[in-house]
Amino acid sequence: MIWVLYRQRLRRDRWQLISWILSIGVLAWFAVEAIGKTFGDEASRAQVLQLATATPAILVLRGLARGPQLDAFTFFEIFSFIALLAALMNTFMAVRHTRAEEESGRSELVSSTSAGRWTPLVTTIVHGLVADVLVAVATALGFMGGGLDPAGSIVAGLATGAVGFAFLGVGLLAGEFFSTSRGANGISSAVVMIAYLLRGFGDATGQVSTDGMTVTAAWPSWISPIGWGQQTFAYTGNRLWPLLLPLALAAVCIAAVVGLMERRDVGASVLAGRAGRPDAGPTLRGPFSLAFRLQQGSIIGWCVGGLATGILTGSLGSAIQASITSSPQVTSILRAMVEAQGTSMTQLLVAALFEIAGILAAACGLQAVIRLRQEEAAGTAELVLSRPLGRARWLGSFLGLGAVSMVLVMLFTALGAWISLVASGDTSSAVGDVWQTAIDQLPAALIYLSLPAAVFVVWPRATIAAGWALLGVGVVLGIYGGMLGFDQKVRDISPFTHTPVTTGAGTDWSGGFWMLGIAVVLALIALVAVRRREVGTA
Amino acid sequence: MDTVIQTVDLHKNFGRVRALDGLDLEVRSGEIHGFLGPNGAGKSTTLRILLGLARASSGSATVLGRNPWTDAVELHRRVASVPGDVNIWPNLTGGETIDLLSRLRGSTLDRAYKERKRHLSEIFDFDPSKRGRAYSKGNRQKVALIAALVTDAELYLFDEPTSGLDPLMEAVFTREVRRVTRENGATVLLSSHILSEVEQLADRVSIIRSGKIVDGGTLDALRHLTRTEISFAQDSVDTHALATLSQVHDLTVTDGRVKFGADSDRVHEVLPLLGNLGVKGLLVSPPSLEELFLRHYGDTVAPAAEAADDGDSHHRRHRAAAQTGA
Repeated sequence: MIWVLYRQRLRRDRWQLISWILSIGVLAWFAVEAIGKTFGDEASRAQVLQLATATPAILVLRGLARGPQLDAFTFFEIFSFIALLAALMNTFMAVRHTRAEEESGRSELVSSTSAGRWTPLVTTIVHGLVADVLVAVATALGFMGGGLDPAGSIVAGLATGAVGFAFLGVGLLAGEFFSTSRGANGISSAVVMIAYLLRGFGDATGQVSTDGMTVTAAWPSWISPIGWGQQTFAYTGNRLWPLLLPLALAAVCIAAVVGLMERRDVGASVLAGRAGRPDAGPTLRGPFSLAFRLQQGSIIGWCVGGLATGILTGSLGSAIQASITSSPQVTSILRAMVEAQGTSMTQLLVAALFEIAGILAAACGLQAVIRLRQEEAAGTAELVLSRPLGRARWLGSFLGLGAVSMVLVMLFTALGAWISLVASGDTSSAVGDVWQTAIDQLPAALIYLSLPAAVFVVWPRATIAAGWALLGVGVVLGIYGGMLGFDQKVRDISPFTHTPVTTGAGTDWSGGFWMLGIAVVLALIALVAVRRREVGTA
Repeated sequence: MDTVIQTVDLHKNFGRVRALDGLDLEVRSGEIHGFLGPNGAGKSTTLRILLGLARASSGSATVLGRNPWTDAVELHRRVASVPGDVNIWPNLTGGETIDLLSRLRGSTLDRAYKERKRHLSEIFDFDPSKRGRAYSKGNRQKVALIAALVTDAELYLFDEPTSGLDPLMEAVFTREVRRVTRENGATVLLSSHILSEVEQLADRVSIIRSGKIVDGGTLDALRHLTRTEISFAQDSVDTHALATLSQVHDLTVTDGRVKFGADSDRVHEVLPLLGNLGVKGLLVSPPSLEELFLRHYGDTVAPAAEAADDGDSHHRRHRAAAQTGA
């Protein structure tokens, strides 16, 4: 019985899983190659590492420094990102095979056979376990393929797989609480992001060794599964016991899932949908308010993400100041860096972390366009468009909402940063700059509103896949492109590469204006072309 | 009489599939027009073109004197519609959905509107305070029906409006459709694959098959084409007299029952004889579209696109052969 359902899951997920797992493996391999090329000798890596440990902003996006050897340095650079990918793969997989199935009613079909209520859950766990073993193998092979030590590579692989499996449990548990897959995916993605940021915060505020080569993580890393994976000290310590923690978390989550499923009906959820109002409120009156109503959940989610990023940015600002005063060596490195850039440390930090918030804003806007496609595929677009409402106005309303939600996400990011900077007593110009830096992120993000909109008009079926793929490519090229050693011309493809950076000397918006122009042109093309397009069905 | 809907040589291709293949449809003002055809014949495609949601590949369509593709927005102020496959927003309640759709049509939710909505919810036995995801298919259908009927329109386009409704609700729908034509002089185009449903409501019908209108006219004209199936317990009834009647066709005896088809417009002529024979367990089944198609178009109009339909015909032919054998 498990075998039958397992084959169904394999068949349904084969391309998706293959691409997740291959991406993770290739990324590991690529990272070793790129780092070997860029920082060939140990001296240059040591220099970078010293800079990094003195610059918490870098640590947030990298990991736990464990020395300048190529293998340890690679683990430091890429592990947290690989673990993040593995985590997302697992939460999406868990929700796809549990809550999404229940929401669509398909689980009724399956559960009314001899499979019963439990086999689908067990099969999903097996499915996840196998996928995570493959992730572990792919990661280990990727690192080994780059020429790193096999033992350490296997530890790194196991760490990735174990972190992934912990999030399978998180995804399953999220599915118990929400009646929709959207809600479950939203909350479990948020947990993944929080885990990433917590370990970032822990690493950035950790104890730096006197030579600046290693960091001992502070406590926040110890409440993050991704942080647990880092604690294996692959290549330098090769300890496996920290992996008991993610496995234990998975076990606890699964036990909770079993306990909850014991008590609930198929299709029901812990947070039940309430009975609603029989009449529409005065605000639900047109396509824009409909779009808002449909998107409000995810907008709130992304805004909370922005706020968290902002608060993190601000509190790191104070952490930096603490480290400056405590270590004279760090101070000199920072001074050198700051003077070279003509920018305050906090400003650099804000610019770097707000790029992450820019991605959140882009994703939030992208979801508004994806909603258009979902409306069309579900048939609800037809209901609206057989009313006196032009297609351009319909599309425009969703684009408008997407733009507004992007601004909201950046606003909350800036607000979070502002509050925590002010609270930490930071009086540098960065406090004022957070608003400017937030606005700086909008041109690149807006591309992810109008480019998918153009795709939606021209090739509706591709909207969702193309939207996320374009965002993924943009993030990899624009934000990790430098680290992965891509040519500047390739990196220039990404909108995020052209994000204006606010420095002490002001803001260079030349790239920003280009991005804005392109976004506007693409949006106009979409608005004109949609008038000539039929309303699709599925 | 004015023509409300007119299509001339309407074609619609999806890639290499011809959904509409020269459709000529005419609907006159104030009538209830039945649009009959099996699944996949092109009914929904036609209605989507009439609503300006899809564009014709060639040919012309006119709705209320305008081009539905270019003048969709203006037309939609005057047209109410129910799609063939009703899907609603899972996180909006039924009541919210109805109100939103009405506001999109430009109506203000005044007291008269609220009263109509309450009345329709009541007669359709519909709870508007549930969320969309909680509704069954029939209840989703009611959302679309109430949203279409709650505001006045000159033209109503219904695509298989009673699918998912129970017979009681079908009767409510029938009454409401009669009301809008009688009270407001509205025109109704109603698609269906069930002959008896259209028979109850329609003044005229058009029969579509493989993207073409193959027959049409008043219901009386249609009755010439259809046969009513009559059966009764065989017991020891002598059926020879029946078999000689000209309005009786294909008389068979299977599993202890006598079965025959009678011309639908001449059923009454057969009834006295049945009375005289004192038959028991009499069953009169209304003519079905499938039977009509089988007899009239079974082998002549059978494109590859309609595999499902063909399968059905083969099955029936097979069964008919078996009965003859017995």
